[in-house]
Amino acid sequence: MRRSASKETDKTAEPSVNPLRDPQDRRLPRVPEPCALVIFGVTGDLARKKLIPAVYDLANRGLLPPGFVMLGFARRDWGHGDFEQIARDAAQQHARTPWREQVWARLQGNIKFVPGSFDDDEAFDTLARTLDELRSSHGIRGNAAFYFSIPPAAFPTVLKQLQRTGMSDNDASGGWRRVVVEKPFGHDLDSARDLNGLVDNVFTAQDVFRIDHYLGKETVQNILALRFANTLFEPVWNSHYVDSVQITMAEDVGIGTRAGFYDSAGAARDVLQNHLLQLLTMVALEEPVSFDSEALRVEKLKVLRAITLPEDLKRYAIRGQYAQGWVAGERALGYHQEKDVPADSTTETYVAVRLGVQNRRWAGVPFYIRAGKRLPRRVTEIAVSFKTAPHLPFAKTDTEELGHNQLVIRVQPDEGVTLKFGSKVPGTSMEVRDIAMDFLYGEAFTESSPEAYERLILDVLLGDKTLFPNSQEVEESWKIVDPLEEYWSGTTPYHYRAGEWGPREADDMLARDGRTWRRP
Amino acid sequence: MIALWDTTGTEVVKALAAERRSAGGVTSGLALTLVAVVDERHVRDTEQAAMIAAQQHPCRLLIVVRRNVLDQESRLDAEIMVGGRLGPCEAVIMRMHGRLALHAESVALPLLAPDVPVVTWWHGDPPEKIAYDPLGVVADRRITDSAQSADPDGALKLRAEDYAPGDTDLTWTRLTPWRTTLAGAFDTADSAATSAKITADPHDPSSRLLSGWLQARLGVKPKITDSHGSGLSEVELTLASGTTLTVHGNDGTATLSRTGFPDRTMPLLARPLGEELAEELRRLDPDEPYAAALAATTGLKGLNDRDSKRVHIWHDPALAEKPEPEESETSTARTAKKPAKASS
Repeated sequence: MRRSASKETDKTAEPSVNPLRDPQDRRLPRVPEPCALVIFGVTGDLARKKLIPAVYDLANRGLLPPGFVMLGFARRDWGHGDFEQIARDAAQQHARTPWREQVWARLQGNIKFVPGSFDDDEAFDTLARTLDELRSSHGIRGNAAFYFSIPPAAFPTVLKQLQRTGMSDNDASGGWRRVVVEKPFGHDLDSARDLNGLVDNVFTAQDVFRIDHYLGKETVQNILALRFANTLFEPVWNSHYVDSVQITMAEDVGIGTRAGFYDSAGAARDVLQNHLLQLLTMVALEEPVSFDSEALRVEKLKVLRAITLPEDLKRYAIRGQYAQGWVAGERALGYHQEKDVPADSTTETYVAVRLGVQNRRWAGVPFYIRAGKRLPRRVTEIAVSFKTAPHLPFAKTDTEELGHNQLVIRVQPDEGVTLKFGSKVPGTSMEVRDIAMDFLYGEAFTESSPEAYERLILDVLLGDKTLFPNSQEVEESWKIVDPLEEYWSGTTPYHYRAGEWGPREADDMLARDGRTWRRP
Repeated sequence: MIALWDTTGTEVVKALAAERRSAGGVTSGLALTLVAVVDERHVRDTEQAAMIAAQQHPCRLLIVVRRNVLDQESRLDAEIMVGGRLGPCEAVIMRMHGRLALHAESVALPLLAPDVPVVTWWHGDPPEKIAYDPLGVVADRRITDSAQSADPDGALKLRAEDYAPGDTDLTWTRLTPWRTTLAGAFDTADSAATSAKITADPHDPSSRLLSGWLQARLGVKPKITDSHGSGLSEVELTLASGTTLTVHGNDGTATLSRTGFPDRTMPLLARPLGEELAEELRRLDPDEPYAAALAATTGLKGLNDRDSKRVHIWHDPALAEKPEPEESETSTARTAKKPAKASS
């Protein structure tokens, strides 16, 4: 602590440590410095359903700094009042914490709206001026995060505007300036590189936060706790004991109103490139030296670089497209019948692929990954299937019902962990069958635990990058997806009925290896 | 739910096992056993609080109600609930009459969930010495609530004299929102603090702990001014640079003032008991900052160096100097005029 010396020389210098923050004092939550959150595309779905409610929830939990300001930017002819009403409705409808009028009243006083289109220089000048004014009115010393909740096509325009007005410049603003980008991070390696170059150029690379909301989920973070805080699992977490790994991300809904984006992307670009590969790296990575973002990133990159595609893409990289059928007791349209989908579209809504991880730990273990829409239920899970015992000292008929031991990490819903193992059937004869032992996070726990967006927005404002993939990770994952897309271009996906677990060819793919998909 | 009247500990253990089986996999993965020592009138709010806490910390809840300790006739009544309205929590409510109440551990020990931490919580007047209560001796973490003490002035002193690592007090938990706000305000401090002023009820243990915390962390002894009945309402810190930081709390709002800057407001809400309990159960290791604050405010030293293990001291209220009825009379009289309320 500087006591007297600093007083004369440097009046604005902070004491090096806040004495009221004691590392031993773990009751005090991490609260960001005074800052502004600027949301571009604040009238969009994401902002209304996730971002604004998450900001309210953070305020309600007391995790926002005093003097936090949310600035909305969008092309609407609105006064401040209109936006406040919309924001209020959004927060009230989608917030997870109880509604408290007091909290909202205070937050509302700190919500501002700047109208304008992205090519409107004047609007951006107004935005820059508004940010500057916060310095005196709210004590925000230049800190601001820009959230891009806008289509990627608009990125270059907005970035150029931010650069032109100097809003993206840390030095000019005197605080930190961060940018938050949502997926898709490009549509292939080249476009991802262009985008990364652009964003990293306007902001500095360390100020760019790419959101993969799966990494904000409590259960995904628990994978690391499960693996590295216990001694029980790590010794068997390798090719000596693991037979195969299945990662499933199933949705029961169709594409809804996203045809415009979805038809040009497809399942592989939409979820495999980001969510599924991130889940895979969490399962496969080596123990990081520490849990800071750099150490973790090093290990994740190693896994991404070790991922190999099957040689026989025809049989081990299956695409599917849903045809009409029944889901959850209701008739569902086929993909071609969905609004705004071209009648000859060959975009996939289902993808199943066998990947390998070429390192000492995983060589020879297949990672079966699948994702799809209009499957029977919404579920995301990781199943690690272990090898069968090398010798069974039972009569052959005794163990007919015994399968592989499995460790299943349920990411959503019913967050938890299941361990499947053989156990004797009660009775006078020796008979062994599979039973499942369940650890379930309390239902209420998952409701009240922070939503992924809440956690991630807080991390952006705190500047903690642990849960955000960086440009290298994004580029490495495109290197995996690009050859698949290249192989698929010009082919037609297999069809599956809406409400089925994907096309038959995907089942054949596992059957050929002597395995079956786990029914999640 | 099963209710057992005039029963034995063995019957209770059997009934709990039977309920768990018939309820199916409702409670899986117990994180701890919470033993709550309460008065009859607190049973419902204890359940309510445990229900909220159990959402984050699935637990087995043992509620022990002691009645008429001086009565020679012993009797045990028990209610057992698994799942249902308690959520991920299984509860055994035990009413112990007569001398049995002094041997509550004989019923409670076989009911502790195997090999998970035990937390004992006195929701009511805490024991004079925790070692007098065998239910406190078995616990890894002990939660008292000095605000409920008949003698709030002496309560903290008592807690400090009796302190062992692993003790904690809900009056400290109630300060967390205030401490968070103060730490946030101090983030923008440009120099060290030279003086501190707290406006609060000088008898309120929470305010005195806050004073202890500031003293321990900032090295200045805060002056406490009487707020005349409105509880903890303001903290003012003066810095060496001449800047003043003020946090004024009023009706769920904190107003932050800093010389040269406009006022800012933040939420500062009093939380329900269940959330306070949930905060307590997050970490089960000794709370050093609490010990430091307690030490600073009471002037006792070396709290963290004490042994965390307690040995049960046999203490029979029948042989105690003050007969029981008179004590409870004075306690109700004092509770009535006690202003309390820490962080409103």
